[in-house]
Amino acid sequence: MANGLAWGTAAKIAAREMRHSRGKFLFVVLSVAIGVAALTGVRGFSASFRATLLDRARSIMAADLAAKSIQQTTPEEMKGLEGIRASGVEMTTVTEMMSMAAPPQSMMPLLVSLKAVDPALYPFYGEISLAPAMSLKTALGPGSVAVGDDLLLRTGLHVGDDVRVGGKLFRIAATVVDEPDRLSGNFEAGPRVLISREALDATGLLAPGNHATERVLFKLPPPTDGRPVSDAAVAALKTKIAALLPEAQVTDYRETNPSLTEGLDRATSLLSLMSLVALVLGAVGVAMAMRAHLQQRLDTIAIMKSLGARSGQIMKIYLLQTLLLGLAGGLLGVLLGVAVQLAFPMVLGKLINVPTELHLQWRAIFTGLGAGILTTLLFTLPPLLDIRGIRPSLILRRDTESDFGDDGGLSLARRVLGRLPWVALALIVTVVSVVVVRRHWPGHSLELLLEGICLFAAAGFGPAIWSWVRRKPVQAGSFLLIIAGIALIATTLSDSAEVGRVFSVGLVIVLLVLLAASAAVLWGLKFFLNRTRLHLPSALRHGLANLYRPGNPSAALLAALGMGVMQIMLVFLVQRAVVNELHITSAPNLPNVFLVDIANSEIDGIQRVLKAQPGVTTQPELVPMVGARVEAIDGVTAAEARERADAKREQAQGPERNERRRRRMPRSVNLTWAESVPVGTKVVSGEWWKAGERGPELAISQQEADWLGVKLGSTITFAVEDQQIAATVVALTKDDGRHLFGRAQFTLPKAALDGLPVVWSGGVHVTPERVGELQRALYAAYPTVTVINVAQAMETVRAVVIQITYVIQFLAAFSIFAGVVILASSIAGTKYRRIREVVVLKTLGATRGRIAAIFSIEFAVLGLVAGVVGIGFANLITRTILHQMNVAYQAQLLLNFSALAGVAALTVATGWMASYRILEQKPLEVLREE
Amino acid sequence: MSEDEDLSEEIVREQAMIVVEGLRKSIRNGARTVEILRGLDFSVPRGEFVAIMGASGSGKSTLLGLLAGLDTPSAGDVRLNGTAISYLPEDRLAQVRGQTVGFVFQSYQLIPTLTALENVLLVHELNAEGDGKPRARQLLTSVGLGDRMDHYPVQLSGGEQQRVALARAFVMRPPIVLADEPTGNLDTTNGALVLKLLLELNRMEGTTLLLVTHDATLAECANRRIVLRDGLIISDEMNEDRQTPAGTAAGV
Repeated sequence: MANGLAWGTAAKIAAREMRHSRGKFLFVVLSVAIGVAALTGVRGFSASFRATLLDRARSIMAADLAAKSIQQTTPEEMKGLEGIRASGVEMTTVTEMMSMAAPPQSMMPLLVSLKAVDPALYPFYGEISLAPAMSLKTALGPGSVAVGDDLLLRTGLHVGDDVRVGGKLFRIAATVVDEPDRLSGNFEAGPRVLISREALDATGLLAPGNHATERVLFKLPPPTDGRPVSDAAVAALKTKIAALLPEAQVTDYRETNPSLTEGLDRATSLLSLMSLVALVLGAVGVAMAMRAHLQQRLDTIAIMKSLGARSGQIMKIYLLQTLLLGLAGGLLGVLLGVAVQLAFPMVLGKLINVPTELHLQWRAIFTGLGAGILTTLLFTLPPLLDIRGIRPSLILRRDTESDFGDDGGLSLARRVLGRLPWVALALIVTVVSVVVVRRHWPGHSLELLLEGICLFAAAGFGPAIWSWVRRKPVQAGSFLLIIAGIALIATTLSDSAEVGRVFSVGLVIVLLVLLAASAAVLWGLKFFLNRTRLHLPSALRHGLANLYRPGNPSAALLAALGMGVMQIMLVFLVQRAVVNELHITSAPNLPNVFLVDIANSEIDGIQRVLKAQPGVTTQPELVPMVGARVEAIDGVTAAEARERADAKREQAQGPERNERRRRRMPRSVNLTWAESVPVGTKVVSGEWWKAGERGPELAISQQEADWLGVKLGSTITFAVEDQQIAATVVALTKDDGRHLFGRAQFTLPKAALDGLPVVWSGGVHVTPERVGELQRALYAAYPTVTVINVAQAMETVRAVVIQITYVIQFLAAFSIFAGVVILASSIAGTKYRRIREVVVLKTLGATRGRIAAIFSIEFAVLGLVAGVVGIGFANLITRTILHQMNVAYQAQLLLNFSALAGVAALTVATGWMASYRILEQKPLEVLREE
Repeated sequence: MSEDEDLSEEIVREQAMIVVEGLRKSIRNGARTVEILRGLDFSVPRGEFVAIMGASGSGKSTLLGLLAGLDTPSAGDVRLNGTAISYLPEDRLAQVRGQTVGFVFQSYQLIPTLTALENVLLVHELNAEGDGKPRARQLLTSVGLGDRMDHYPVQLSGGEQQRVALARAFVMRPPIVLADEPTGNLDTTNGALVLKLLLELNRMEGTTLLLVTHDATLAECANRRIVLRDGLIISDEMNEDRQTPAGTAAGV
């Protein structure tokens, strides 16, 4: 018995065929390469950029992890912490407290924010800068401290002078210019005094009952292989510490500035999936090219079969060919992707001052390569399996039925239309469920959309698909394999099985709908042309008729084009919205200097001072705060109401997530008043009161309402001094976290809080260079008002956020470019199908101009239909995605129409470029080549 | 017909290389069904050279396709060397084709991406183990292509391509060779050369040869002539002058 075709021979035949059809396979390789390049480039670059950002985030915290608590650690907790230290984790404690400081002879002490550190260890990341420049160890001796320059300003002291802290005199060794963890420490009033822990102990300030906050900083040992500390290791330590210190608030470096990492993470996972769509598109292009290739190879395959070759042996050849193409495309794609990764920091070097490290992301490379080969293989499975249907008798007689055909989806459309009653039933069920769900469970529009699509698909395609599955079980199996493969790749890319499932199912649904829409359009076109007796010019008639000719893969091409257009538009729309949102986040006029402890009587004067300052660029935001306690909610005591809300949440979300929220329940709260909706706040549900309202109405943030378990109409009873205020919730709000009003959790009408003791806070944007000027002016007029300057820190954050927007725009541009190239190559791939057609037309006397006109019309219609379907879907999906991300979506008609025109023009142009050479050829030349 | 005659015919059928019984083939052409073969019965003994003749559309090529197992009959049966092939599964059929039948087509049907030698070797690789090169080289030399083994089909003339196809048909030493108008695309000189080589190889290898042709002079070389019209055998007669394969080759 023969052992079959040797792999060597199969490889030889595969390679020879590839060499003979270089042009065609170039498109295939390019399609895969661009898809893989998008994947590798996007993932690789954003991974490097993220690593750089997280390095910054670590210095904002000065550690990998921090545990903050207002209680001293118990001996038992200390023992646990020692265990963690023994495992190689470094740790140091930062103690922060409010205290008094004064010049030695002065009787007028000043409120200061005292921070005690171990200068030998602190900070683990980032640097503390002192003026004059010196190390922290030198500055913080047993008898010396470093202070903020505002302390010198207020007390008239200088570096080298003594200052009294607690009961002890210290020499001022330096001023603190910048401390890395200023934004993550306590946001307290008073100038900074930095002191060593030993010196603090010597002051005797740390008596029991003193309100000191302890922040334990942790630094994980770096892995031995030289890579940075992994997120998983940080998360594991975090869980351990959270269990050990139940009263502490444990945060890790990724949480220090969520707007930075979240923005990039969102963008990365979105773009990763987008580039997966690009890859899938590439693979669809490959499948179409492979099908066309095998159609041309029918003779060769029939000859081999007549010589005794079994289907398996022939499939071996074409499987190898696919593998080689996938590998070549994958390698080229990885090279391109790496080139993009390396080129990017150079190209945008001026815009990005974050030094991105140029280490290659091997994981991204292998993922890209693997995904490229796997998708190519999966998507060529159906045409490869069709080899089994090719009959050897083809060499004797051309008219034998062969399973290797395509009727352009027309028969499917016909079958679907034959099932109109079922489709109508699906429509009714969908409408009814929309009405019911809208009324009873608002906010489930995505699920509804999916349900509707599934119902339609089941009603329209169900029986047709089922009979196909019964006829071709192996083919059906291969489609299942494709879906599973895509799910696997999406899961790997997004590190989430949920995303993988949603992505693959979504892709199948979109593809089905696109196929159905394409088939319906083609059917409609045919119906229209046959029924109406319009006297269309013959080129137009031919061009349109070409679309539904038997054997024309228009439906498949339309679906591929539609998908491509959808991917491109989706990337464009989502990136625009996300970038827009980030620009709002990093708007230049957000408050960056805060004023705390302003008395009622000082408000007008403060406003005047601020107005007179040249550095102030915005109207100051001034917020009154009334300290209160929550006494009862809906008649139930606060403690009991909290328990109930906790129990309910625990049921819904599981105990783990709830644990963190439970600790964040407010004990004392701030009330404020506002006559209209404050800047930066949005009413989510309910209605804000009219100006002059006297009743105790209440606006509360949606998040707070969830925690407390209150809804519109609930009553919350507050205790302020000896008064009780029972206020009814009339509006749920959401604030952007960028303005001062967000800091007061509860807002009431002004009249409801009249006569209660008020302290004001203020926020204003000041040009960073002129903050000093403002500080001096305020101190001169209102020495008791504390000024907190975060201008420098906010500038840093703003700069990084702006860089992220550049990165997102660049990555999106690359994804879009990839999509365009793949689309162009799939259109160009139809060239080989056209050769025979051109030859026949020419032989019958058609001029080149006429043939070109026919093709142009065909391509223009293809482009328009694909454009309408693709752009429509892109808007729909963008809306859903943005809704999930809480970003506003705005439909832009002009943009969509320009995109549509662009798609049609590009399709015609690409079709032209691909067909130009064919038109120039002499018929016989082509026939001989065939 | 006597019982003895029945019995002897049965024995002949048992020993025959090709047995065709009640063979029918129809194909669907749109809504219409066209009957191409309408019930054929015949057998071919080992070593016989049969010419199948008939006008265009009489069913010659379809018959050849069914004999080679390239297609499935609508009814009836074909037995090659004792094996009923008509309803075998596709892969088993491919095996039978590879080991039992050599095929020569009118339009050569060489694989364009393989050299002459590789085209011949491919059959060996598909169907046998061991090194087929010596045999392939010997066959190519014997058809006069010893110096053109590494040429691709496009670099060979029509006659040369058909000679490669001849070598390919015999490389597995198949008991049966089927030829479909092997000289149909060639000029007279090349046609005569190819036919001569075909008959020589047939004689040397001792194969059973079935040749489909329009050409009456070509059919003269055969031991037996079967004529088809509208899917039926209208005549099946022995050629008294050509009773041995040796004689046929000399006749060309």
